[in-house]
Amino acid sequence: MSRAIIHRLWKLLVVLLLQLIILNHVHVLTYATPVIIAYVTMNFQRGASRLGLLLWGFVTGLLYDVFSNTMGLGMCSATLLAMMQPLLLSLFTPRDAADDMVPSMRTMGTHRYILYAFFSMLIFHAVFYALDAFTLSNWTLTLMAMGIGGLMAFIIVVFAQILSPSKN
Amino acid sequence: MRNLIDFIQKNLYWLVFLLLEAVSLILLFKYNSYQGSVYFTTANKVVGGAYKLTSDVTSYLNLGKENAYLEQQNEQLRSEVIELKKRLRKRQRNFTSVNIHDTLFSGYKFVGAQVISSTLHRTNNLMTIDKGSKDGIRPEMGVVCSQGVVGIVYLTSRHYSIVIPLLNVSSQISCRMKNSEFFGTMQWQRGDPDISYVNDIPRHAKVKPGEMVETNGYSDIFPEGIPIGKVRKVKDSSDGMSYSLEVALFTDFKTLRNVSVITNYTKPERQALEAKADSLMQSTEE
Repeated sequence: MSRAIIHRLWKLLVVLLLQLIILNHVHVLTYATPVIIAYVTMNFQRGASRLGLLLWGFVTGLLYDVFSNTMGLGMCSATLLAMMQPLLLSLFTPRDAADDMVPSMRTMGTHRYILYAFFSMLIFHAVFYALDAFTLSNWTLTLMAMGIGGLMAFIIVVFAQILSPSKN
Repeated sequence: MRNLIDFIQKNLYWLVFLLLEAVSLILLFKYNSYQGSVYFTTANKVVGGAYKLTSDVTSYLNLGKENAYLEQQNEQLRSEVIELKKRLRKRQRNFTSVNIHDTLFSGYKFVGAQVISSTLHRTNNLMTIDKGSKDGIRPEMGVVCSQGVVGIVYLTSRHYSIVIPLLNVSSQISCRMKNSEFFGTMQWQRGDPDISYVNDIPRHAKVKPGEMVETNGYSDIFPEGIPIGKVRKVKDSSDGMSYSLEVALFTDFKTLRNVSVITNYTKPERQALEAKADSLMQSTEE
């Protein structure tokens, strides 16, 4: 098992614990909860296998769902984000970036990474809360949950990047 | 082929993505009651709509078969209607006879019959009806219809009877004027099947055209009061001693189909018996 995979698994464990122990108990406006399990997925290196990315996203979502009793929600959202990750990355990656660049503030630049993280979290939360609501009635509440949850997750991700000692 | 395999390999992640999303959604609907119920309701609506569309198309395609079935059913119902009408007519025939002459015929039994053949323009016209001895019909029984007197049973076989109608020169029926109670004998004189004659009306009887002629009950065939016809003309008899009345018959023999045979007229028999008993009593007393 390569060092990168172990590193990713370690990151996933930390993120999962943070999510399950702390963030799952944060309910802004009694509804919006930030979900950051996609953090590891969105930080996959550029040019990574799409199949591997999809499976990683799926498993991440599955782990979240199993422990949060939200079967299907996390899986669906994380898999979709894994599918879109290369596209988002290509939108915000600098032209002169390396082919195996790992997305971070350092490699992409703060501004680009913030945008990348923001849209990634927004997409994830949009799908997550759309599936959670599963109706168009009370759509303002759903939109607020998407926005607030996404924003909070984005902030956490940015802070995590800032505080991260890793070069990756 | 190679291009196709290359294409699939290149885009395999799409298939995997769709597969993983499908698995996610299946788990979502299976383990989340709210999403499951919403999906179930929506799916039901969609499936219901699809089924309805299929059913509409199928039923349209089956219209030919349906039409054939309806046609067949119509035929069956039509024949049932005809059969029921036939039965109703049969019943009505009996009831009509009884109802029209309810007061006259109360206590009498009738056997309904249909005229199956008759002649109108011969000297001795006869009529055949479809009931015979099996139905309790005997010779010398009176035959009536809803309009009035028809004739007298002449011969019977097991299933059929021959009737001597009024339109027979040998037919003689005792009758009376309804208002004046003068009586005579009705006898047909060939020719017009609607006209018959009543002879032997005394000259002092004041008979007017339009008066009704009915049975007088003197014969042992008809009870009294059964209408026969209406006086049309009052003529002198050939010997000039009495009147001869030209009577328009109520019974339309040209269209006559349904008749009734009076099967239990026993008044004369009863009267004869009573008279015999009276005479016996008198002789005993003496």
